[in-house]
Amino acid sequence: MTRFADLLKALAHAGVDFVVVGGVAAAAHGSPRATLDIDVVYSRADSNLDCLVTALALLRPYLRGAPPGLPFRFDAPTLKAGLNFTLTTDLGWIDLLGEIAGGTYTDLAPHSIQIELFGIVCKVLDLETLIRTKRAAGRPKDLEGIAELEIIKARQR
Amino acid sequence: MNSLDEIIAVYMRDVDVTLIDASLRRTVEERLRALEEFEEFREELRAATEKQRDALR
Repeated sequence: MTRFADLLKALAHAGVDFVVVGGVAAAAHGSPRATLDIDVVYSRADSNLDCLVTALALLRPYLRGAPPGLPFRFDAPTLKAGLNFTLTTDLGWIDLLGEIAGGTYTDLAPHSIQIELFGIVCKVLDLETLIRTKRAAGRPKDLEGIAELEIIKARQR
Repeated sequence: MNSLDEIIAVYMRDVDVTLIDASLRRTVEERLRALEEFEEFREELRAATEKQRDALR
């Protein structure tokens, strides 16, 4: 089970620069759709990679779906060498995304809202940009979710 | 209107807006807690189903 609140707290307490995207962002905006993981777009700055390691290394991160026993090291060089990581941790599933269809952390952070929850403040992609990124991704599985988000947007007018 | 808009418009017709309205009445914290509770329920349901399936073997 993914403990969304505890994962967000772990990132925030370590000072990670990230924007929540995907299903959890959709839920934050009011989508009733279930999701199993938390997707975050993270800053690729060297200092931020160190913060990510501080936040997650003790939670035994491992590549989701990979056979057990691979020599996976969750450290700054690994993060620097890769971009998007789909991980299991002791707190559940988290996707660390260096880039999505809508861009990088630098592109998306200005299009986020800061919300206070569970005693922390974190950035969540704003509704308009969330819809735009899901449209840009063009995945059939997102179409129903986009329809819900469009209705939420219309309800907020 | 492009074809993607048309497809999304078709999906919008079938969205259960009562679920959306109920969700919008909650705080963001309550919505994320509901996700966790649902996942907990899903895992219990799956375990119970597997147990029952094993018992029938």
